[in-house]
Formats: sequence, structure tokens, C-alpha cells
Amino acid sequence: MPRFQHLNSTSIPNHNYEWSYEYYDDEEPVSFEGLKAHRYSIVIGFWVGLAVFVIFMFFVLTLLTKTGAPHPEATEPYEKRMRLTSCAEGLGRQREADTRTSLSRPLLEESRSFFHCYINEEEREGGRATAGAAHGCTGSGDSRNQVETVGLAVQSMVMDTRAEREAALLAHFNIPNFVNSELNSVLGDEDLLLGDPPIIMEEARPRCTHHIID
Amino acid sequence: MNSSTEALSTHPTDCAEVQVPNQVFMAIAVASLSENILVIVAVIKNRNLHSPMYCFICNLAVFNTISSLFKALENILLLFKEAGHLNSLRLFELNIDDIMDSLLCMCFLGSIFSILTIAVDRYISIFHALRYHTLMTMRRVVVMLSTIWVLCGTSGVLMIGFFEAATVKIFFVVPFFTALLFILLLYVHMFLLARHHANRIASMPGLHARQRQSGLRGALTLTILIGVFVACWAPFCPHLLIMMICPENPYCECYRSLFQLHVVLLVSHAVTDPAIYAFRSTELRNTYKKMFLCSASRIFKECV
Repeated sequence: MPRFQHLNSTSIPNHNYEWSYEYYDDEEPVSFEGLKAHRYSIVIGFWVGLAVFVIFMFFVLTLLTKTGAPHPEATEPYEKRMRLTSCAEGLGRQREADTRTSLSRPLLEESRSFFHCYINEEEREGGRATAGAAHGCTGSGDSRNQVETVGLAVQSMVMDTRAEREAALLAHFNIPNFVNSELNSVLGDEDLLLGDPPIIMEEARPRCTHHIID
Repeated sequence: MNSSTEALSTHPTDCAEVQVPNQVFMAIAVASLSENILVIVAVIKNRNLHSPMYCFICNLAVFNTISSLFKALENILLLFKEAGHLNSLRLFELNIDDIMDSLLCMCFLGSIFSILTIAVDRYISIFHALRYHTLMTMRRVVVMLSTIWVLCGTSGVLMIGFFEAATVKIFFVVPFFTALLFILLLYVHMFLLARHHANRIASMPGLHARQRQSGLRGALTLTILIGVFVACWAPFCPHLLIMMICPENPYCECYRSLFQLHVVLLVSHAVTDPAIYAFRSTELRNTYKKMFLCSASRIFKECV
């Protein structure tokens, strides 16, 4: 650390200031005779340890990505998926018909029906809170919103826990700086959480957030 | 007259202290200052960025700005001293160096705690998604940030005031290691959840798996985040430990001779922080585009 030394300051104010890095106050010389190991061994050991730690962490993380084994309770969600995929199929057929006519209203209605389908499944599971929130927010969006909603709901069905479903649903409602955008910024990857297509989280949607927060 | 300087300059040692030129410090300080000021300006100007997440990022940028400002000031004073202008200035009878050291100490502690708060905020936003807005109100954010400032300010003053005591040096090293541990745990847990989600999506029918690539990128990003933090901060801590444990050991002496290099690493963390935290956000990048396009179009209109 830099330090000013005021020298000979007894009687006459001496303005010979020295500015130097006075890091060590000890004056005894350190003897370098009889060193068994290399003199920079602590430095080398420290940096090697640091590099090993970082590389080990990287390998552990990549190993976690490679050994992505399916969840042990794979049978139960498969049945759920079969049930809910029928909703998606019905929706898909409707969407094809609607894109030909390219009206936004059919999309809205089809989304509502899709949500009814989803909400029925939710109520069977007993997730009334999220259903209420989801239902409340359906009507307040444009057609792009509905397409996003569809994609999100399809993806949210395969999640086991309620918390995950809630997170995904809530993520749709564009609370600023929320799960997806921030995890994206953490991990630098748009489709880490959500798969295709990535859901864009840029604009704030205060109407939907008020439904949930109030 | 030069008795103490004589002892310092002719200190016999095989591991001569590695001197880093002032220009390097100056360049790093200026680069970090400009980056962090850009981050602060963007967060203040854009109303969408007035949220807890960006408050924490802005707080980190403020700490980095202050530290690089004072590092640059220190280098300017060194340049003046070498040019011989400082001899006539009386105000340096005060312990300017102590004030600067305590401010730098405050900023270093502050940036460690800011990085920790950013990790905690991301963790809460992922694992307590529904309750995020009730947990992270702006009032609580203000309370947290003022606590950090008060804590770091008092720690900076105390640490430099009582630098000789061993407890002070421990007080710097222990928070660093606990912060590092917390950051590691939080981010790895977030990464595991993201992997779990990605695997579930990959097992959905009809979706082709691009997951390997994305998983590798996630692992790389996380490694860079933790690796840069550790590589910049960890080399400085053994200096404090060595001063307590083995001040006369030749091996420790050789480690201590690299002190200025390690300070360069410490200061360069302020340059990489915006790149890791702030510039990854698309909203912030869009704010920059708007700012620069607006100013460019204004200049263009004035010229034409």
C-alpha cells in the first residue's frame, strides 16, 4: 500500500516526502540459502490448485449435463402427458384451421378452450390457485401472447411439481427481470429452461402481475 | 535523510518484487471506470431497469466505479510525485494514503457482498418464484443496500485503522471464503434445477434434443462466472495470511514479491464484472443502443 513517510520531523518541518510502496516494515533480510524446493513453489502450488478447482468444477457441471437420466417417477408423468397431449392435439388441429383464416379471435377462443382443458387437469390435481391465476390472465393478451401461452402450457404440463408449474406459468406473465430472463443472463442460454421456442420476456405486463400479487 | 528508504531499496532478496508499471494500473482503472459509469447511467435512465435485480447490479457498478476512481487518483498522485510537483503541497501532511486505503478496502468488500446479493436475488427468483415480489420489495432492497454500505464503510475504516491486529486480516479473508462458498452453492443449485427442467423437456415427445449444446454452454458460463471471481480475488487473500503466519519464510517472501501483480488482478475484476453481470442483459444492451443512436442522430442533425 502506498504510504507517505515524513522524515526527520522533529524540530524543522522537513518537506522531503517519500512516496513509495511500503508494504513490509520488517528490516531483517530473508536468507535464501538451503532452499530444498523451488523458491516460487507456493506461487506455483497456489495457481495449480486454483486451476484444478476450476477445471474440476467445469467437468462436474458438464458431467451433470451428459448424464441427464430421466426422472425416476417416469411412468406417472407419462400417463399425465398422454392425457394432456390430447388437449394439445385438439388445439393443434384448431390452430391449423385458424392460421388459414388468420383471425385473432379464433386464437383467443381456442386458447380459452385450451386453458379450460388445462385447468380441468389442474383442478384434478388440486392446484386451484394457479388455475385461478392462469384463468384470470388468459383474456388480457394479444394473439402472440396466446401462442406463447399455448407453448408455455404444453411445456408446463410435463413438470411434476406444482412449484415448477407455478414458476413456468408465472414466467409467462412477464414480471420484469423474472425467472427466465435472469436465468438466461446467468447461464447465457435462451433455451436452458424452456426448450423450443424461447419465450421472450422483455415487456412488463402489469395487468397480469396485479392479478397474482393482489 | 534517506535512512529508511535506503533500507527499503537495498533489501537483499532473491525474489525481487515484481513491479507493474503505472500505465497498466491507469489503463485498467480508466477502462473499468468507463464501463461501470455506462452501467450506472443505463440503469438510471431506463425505467424498466428500476427493479431489484438491476439495483443490485447498479450497486456493484457503483462500488467498482469508486474503487477504480481512487486507483486512478492514486496513480495520478504517483505521477505527480515522480514529476516532483508534490513537494510543495501541504495538504499531504494528512494521511491521504490511509483514507484511500480504507476507501479501496470498503469498495473491495462492497463488491464481494454485491456479487453475493446478486446470486441470492437470482436464487430467490428461481426457487421462490411466486413469492419473489413479496420477498424482494424495493424497500427491502434499499434496506439491504444501505446495510451493505454501512457495513463496508465501517469495516474499511476499522481495517485500515487497526491494520496491525491479526483479527482484521482474518476479517477480510473469512467473508471472502464464506461469500465464495455461498455463491458456489447457490449457482450450482440453480444450475441443477435448470438441468432437471431441460431433461424433462427433452423427454417430451416431438422435441428434438438441442440440450447437449445448451447444457455445455450453461456449464461454461457458470465456470467463467465462478472462475473469474476466484482468479481475481483469491490471490490477494494469501498475502494477508502470509503477513500473519510466515513473514520471514523465503517461500512466503517469494509469494509476497508478486503483490503488485495480484493487485492488478484485483482491479481487473472491476473490468470483467460488467461484462459478466450487466452486459448479458438484453434490456441493458437495448438501452445502450437507444442512447447511442439518439445521440448519433442528434449529432447528425446538428451537422446537417
